[in-house]
Amino acid sequence: MEIPLNESAPLAVELRGITKRFPGVVANKDIELRVRRGEVHAIVGENGAGKSTLMKTLYGMHRPDEGQILLDGEPASFRSPADAIAAGIGMVHQHFMLADNFTVLENVVLGSEPTKGGRLDRAAARDRIREISDSYALGLDPDSLVEDLGVGDRQRVEIAKVLYRGATTLILDEPTAVLVPQEVDELFGNLAELKREGLTVIFISHKLDEVRKVADSITVIRRGTTVGTADPRTTSAKELAEMMVGAELPVAATRESTVREAPVLRMRGVSVTAVAGGRSVVDDVTLTVREGEVVGIAGVEGNGQAELVDAIMGLRPLAAGELRLGEEDITQWSTRRRREGGIGFVPEDRHRQGMLLDAPLWENRVLGHQTRPPAVKGFFIDRRAARADTARIMREYDVRAPGPDTAAVALSGGNQQKLIVGREMSAHPRLLVAAHPTRGVDVGAQAGIWELLKDARAEGMGILLVSADLDELISLSDTLHVMLRGALVATLDPRRVTPEELGGHMTGAARGDDSVGAA
Amino acid sequence: MTALRRLGLSLMAPAIAVAVALALSAAVIALIGQNPATAVRVMFDFGDSPAQQTQAIVVVLNRAVPLFLAGLAVSVAFRMGLFNIGVEGQYRIATVLAAGAGAAVALPGPLHLLLIVVVAMAVGAFWAGIVAVLKVTRGVSEVISSIMLNFIALGLASYLLTGPLRGSPEGASIITTSPIPESGWFPGLNGVLTGLGLAEPRSELYGFLVVAGVVGIAVAVLIKRTRFGFDLRATGMSPSAATASGVDARRMVLKAMLISGAIAGLIGMPDLLGEARSYNTEFTAGLGFLGIAVALLGRNSPLGIAFGALLFAFLDRAAIPLQFADIPASVVTIIQGTIVLAVVIANEIARRVTRQQAERGSAVAPPTSGDGSTGGGQGPGDGPPPDVGPTTGTGTGVGVRNASGEPGRTDSRQGAGA
Repeated sequence: MEIPLNESAPLAVELRGITKRFPGVVANKDIELRVRRGEVHAIVGENGAGKSTLMKTLYGMHRPDEGQILLDGEPASFRSPADAIAAGIGMVHQHFMLADNFTVLENVVLGSEPTKGGRLDRAAARDRIREISDSYALGLDPDSLVEDLGVGDRQRVEIAKVLYRGATTLILDEPTAVLVPQEVDELFGNLAELKREGLTVIFISHKLDEVRKVADSITVIRRGTTVGTADPRTTSAKELAEMMVGAELPVAATRESTVREAPVLRMRGVSVTAVAGGRSVVDDVTLTVREGEVVGIAGVEGNGQAELVDAIMGLRPLAAGELRLGEEDITQWSTRRRREGGIGFVPEDRHRQGMLLDAPLWENRVLGHQTRPPAVKGFFIDRRAARADTARIMREYDVRAPGPDTAAVALSGGNQQKLIVGREMSAHPRLLVAAHPTRGVDVGAQAGIWELLKDARAEGMGILLVSADLDELISLSDTLHVMLRGALVATLDPRRVTPEELGGHMTGAARGDDSVGAA
Repeated sequence: MTALRRLGLSLMAPAIAVAVALALSAAVIALIGQNPATAVRVMFDFGDSPAQQTQAIVVVLNRAVPLFLAGLAVSVAFRMGLFNIGVEGQYRIATVLAAGAGAAVALPGPLHLLLIVVVAMAVGAFWAGIVAVLKVTRGVSEVISSIMLNFIALGLASYLLTGPLRGSPEGASIITTSPIPESGWFPGLNGVLTGLGLAEPRSELYGFLVVAGVVGIAVAVLIKRTRFGFDLRATGMSPSAATASGVDARRMVLKAMLISGAIAGLIGMPDLLGEARSYNTEFTAGLGFLGIAVALLGRNSPLGIAFGALLFAFLDRAAIPLQFADIPASVVTIIQGTIVLAVVIANEIARRVTRQQAERGSAVAPPTSGDGSTGGGQGPGDGPPPDVGPTTGTGTGVGVRNASGEPGRTDSRQGAGA
């Protein structure tokens, strides 16, 4: 394969000087992108660097203020995604847009159904989907229900949807974010098939190792503009990361153990059922978190981790089992009492459980601490003290925002997360339940949050870390449990385990169990 | 400056909405063949003599007091995302029972008043409490149950009025409860009016105005400044976040509905204690539903509700003079309806604008030229990573990356199917 910048190679997509402004913000500036036909072209950049804005421009979701889009050398202009689809551009979104109670066939044809006499022509659709599935080795059964499919299969349905509409250029937005390593390899296999058939793939990611594995060429975006292109075969992940961040990177290295004897959380035989008397979504979990210990929970999402966290926080009733915080039995305690008793909580979905988006930052400082100083004075909210303490958190935890009266919605994901972490740390909890603490957070903030967790651990805080980021789990945890179908199926030593081994345990493959439990 | 702008925006939205609504109403009046200018003149015509003018003001204020209380009752529940449509039934049943209790006992003045008011609040709270208990224990939507309880309340009130609590003689054209003795009358405020140098009006200005003011301030403080109010608002903004923060959602539903119902119980008090002295078949109806409109108009803030109540009361007063001018009184209803619609739309637009501004407000500083190596294509080889701008340390890096204003949320909103 030839080297990028070969002017004679046909360009499937070319962007020249794309600039997109939103009121008060330049989201993209002078973007230059050259994607050759039949290659996998990766676009890397941190969250908030402007990748999504750029892809929305290319997919016709909004129009650029300046610059040109060229497809196969011809200028193109899209007024809506429909125009982009008609021009052969398809998008596979990060969050799947599938109807669970429909079959693969129904999902794929949804919106462009082949009809015969006014009715859905299932036979024609089935043939077409089989044909697509066979020629790109997607392995889809048109008649299976989407709700029965695993994450990897769902993604292939999304890809089939795009191919069904005749796309020749596919945009994949962070496609590996939801996959375990084995599924990632399968996806890369599919991408190779697409490439062999002459299709062009634009692959958006910030996972640099994967990008280097799959891409033929790479464009790096930083702060809304393209900072350069790189050849994946000759550029190291570290070099790429430095292009992305524009600075030397901090590393999340492990350090000596700070685990003490005293347990802060003991769970014994904890079970949680989805509905009363129903199937167990958390199945007989027994674990201990000690002072100064980070206990990691690994698992494919949907294997009971969220329910486990809810059970610890008192947000879901236990079907069986016992919870102890220190020496006290907290099984019957309310969420508020648990929080007062010294459990801090960094929720998985900060917009749903961690913040009041429309409220100012100082009110978000009060959230979860409504009964404790400095936020309250007796029956009343102490607004002045809450504001002052919010300002302190913003200073100490590097939350970038104009001030305590700014609405939370105005902050970037990383800054919102730092505020949440700072807020929870400020109450000096004995136990911190951190679910995906660095999800959707840029590299700089991620490093900051890791540092905070490490410092808290060194001071003797017990931390329960649930994460989908295997590197994060391995580098931060002192003990690592793997959760599969609600049960803890393996306990691993994070100093020895590799992400691949961990992935094997997560899918059950390591136990000779080959079905993925994405319930 | 942002606070000032936000305030400006929040005031401008209802102002524009009212203007649009008035323009629409003018068009309607013109369509039915009347002169809108005449209608406006009639509405603002408070009479010629000073006594007539103060009388008009008293009528507006006396109407505004129950509307204000109704708006407050609705807003407390609204603040945590509960739709208490049952205010109508709550105040009707509360008023008839309070009237019955007031007529049945003889107590020294203040105690007598206190008893009547406490009975009204307790009954209102009880009636709203049924809705809360149904919601918390059985998951019944409060909208459905409170609407249905309205019918039960109205039927029950009629039964009580015509049956056990009837005080009027057999065959009277208006059925009433027994009148409340004078110790249970709420003193009027006409002394204050004349003290201010205004002419003595024909009707008495309700003394309950003062109580309503105190309740308004109490609700404002409760919602804005207390722990309870914080929990309430947090639940309204995000039930999931509130629950995760330790708010007991079920208990909050119960408390909010009890408070809402207790305030609803007060709605009938100004008329009962200030003028009617008994509950009767002609007793003011519909205040509970108007309260929903007033709460919407006032964006659930006590001050806004006060303005909304005054506006509605002003329009209501105009109904009779309009008829004298041969303009149908339903013009008033049309104006009120269009105002509510326009305000709701304007508030929603204002909310979205504020939110969008907030989302973009502190976003990325525009990429400054020369901060990095723009366009420095790395070529085929194994050259070093491109030049790093000397000023971009890790520390500042975090700040500049302050999101380019399009986090994941926007994606889902624009989820055009591929």
